[in-house]
Amino acid sequence: MAAKTIGLDQGDKAEARVFLAGLCVFLALMLGFPTLANLWYSFSDVSFQNLASTDFVGLRHYADAVANPRMWTALGFSVRFALLTTAIEVGIGLVLVFVLHPLLTKRPWLTGILMLPMMVSPALMGVMYRLILNEFTGLVPGYLELVGISMNFLGRANVYATLVAIEVLQWTPFAFLILLTARQGVAYELEEAAAVDGATGLRLFLHVILPIMLPAIAIVAFIRFIDGFRVFDHIFVLTGGGPGTQTTSISIHIYKLFFVQNRLGEAVALSVMLLVAALALLYFGLKLVVRRTAR
Amino acid sequence: MIVSRANRLAKATTALRWAVFVLVALVLNFPILATVLTSFKTMADINTSPPPLIFWPTLENYVEVLFAGNADFPRYLFNSVVMASGGAVIAILLAFPAAYAMVRYDVGKSWLLPIITNLRALPLIIYAIPIYLMFQFAGLLDTRFGLALIAAVINVPVALVLFVGFIQDIPDELDAAAKIDGAGKWGILRHVIFPLSRPILFAVAILSFIYAWNEFIFGLILTTRQAVPVTVGATFFVTTYGVKWGATAAAMTLGIIPPLVLGLFAYPYIGKSMLTGALKG
Repeated sequence: MAAKTIGLDQGDKAEARVFLAGLCVFLALMLGFPTLANLWYSFSDVSFQNLASTDFVGLRHYADAVANPRMWTALGFSVRFALLTTAIEVGIGLVLVFVLHPLLTKRPWLTGILMLPMMVSPALMGVMYRLILNEFTGLVPGYLELVGISMNFLGRANVYATLVAIEVLQWTPFAFLILLTARQGVAYELEEAAAVDGATGLRLFLHVILPIMLPAIAIVAFIRFIDGFRVFDHIFVLTGGGPGTQTTSISIHIYKLFFVQNRLGEAVALSVMLLVAALALLYFGLKLVVRRTAR
Repeated sequence: MIVSRANRLAKATTALRWAVFVLVALVLNFPILATVLTSFKTMADINTSPPPLIFWPTLENYVEVLFAGNADFPRYLFNSVVMASGGAVIAILLAFPAAYAMVRYDVGKSWLLPIITNLRALPLIIYAIPIYLMFQFAGLLDTRFGLALIAAVINVPVALVLFVGFIQDIPDELDAAAKIDGAGKWGILRHVIFPLSRPILFAVAILSFIYAWNEFIFGLILTTRQAVPVTVGATFFVTTYGVKWGATAAAMTLGIIPPLVLGLFAYPYIGKSMLTGALKG
């Protein structure tokens, strides 16, 4: 590594920066500029009629965003949804690693079958569940009726559980895949040594293997939490955030503010706050993960 | 005696593992299986309760979705193909030279790489509004090119991290040899790094295609008619076709097949790529 950089003089480096230019310009246009626009709009008297407004309104949009009780409902929904789905996905993922690891290590291609749900667009997954769970012609209610159970999966009482279940069924494969990779990285000598000491089966897994897998678990939980928190697609397709605001996540809330309620300033202010929160979470989350991963 | 008992226990455990595997595979893939099956059912079979497990398959739903006079669905498919391939090409063209410069000349690796890899973790909705306004201004709303640009933004982090990881593993003696032969930086990139990077280029192209194909929020916000992608077009089905579940199922099936088939090729890379948001920061 050191040898590689020693041979580089400043001219070389300057010349090499050209290779970064395209990427930098592209990102500045597609993300840098929108970030600045977000900031600008969030402090100015902006509306669809007056997009280039230069009237400064201070923190009014931020105050509006925070004072809106629906924002807090949506934030609460997103946090609860993310925590719940993350916990279930990591839990089931670990159980599956424990049970299926020997099988899949001998036949790696089987893993591909379990990965299929991950390849499907969450939005299309939502539409597919709409088909399957439909009260009149859906497969699941159809068969449940056979055994005398009648259930409206998307009704007020069950919709939350249904949405959580759909997220879990689609993304447990992700947790499983990462955890399986971590499990396969555990040195075989270590398992043998532990087995000699009398630790087998579940005890081996809980006391020897699980501690080694902790960094991977932390990373999976972190990624799944972020993805759960920003959930949009399948909920939007299935319920549009309803009934009422019962299933409105923070992403859906911002979408509605802008595209349905025409509250541009408030939506933009909330976007900025969400960006800051996400960056803070990333910063601290990564510090934690990196510290745990670094041996 | 003891040996055979242990043997039987091992066999029972293996059988149990298989049972769990089959059950989990069925439950996880149930919506996919059910939708594909429904897409081959006639209207009468779909409306039969309880749903029949065995039925005479029909292609009428596919004919309706693809060939009916007023069918918009072929256009949605076409839009998604253009957007996803365009996005993949743009992302690769931008990220590949950048990764080369970062690894070999140590520029931007300390500040640009962490910024870009963390992008994947941001809620996309944050950028929805300014990009909508920007596209409106630039006349990119409801265009396939506009969507391809978005797809590229979404795919740049994954592409960059996978490229950086891969190029790091190419021995730099090869660069040195090419340099002695008089090759400049572009020459090394084109004649040394590029040919050796074919496998990762292939993987990134597939992954980018899948991610872009499955994208929903920006398709929803930025398109209205001409450039509508499959993910968004499929939601129109539920409302406009009303109770035509067979046609909806056929549309769904067509919409999920490309990423499923590509995913089977690329799944070893997928876990790795999905970790990018957290690992390399």
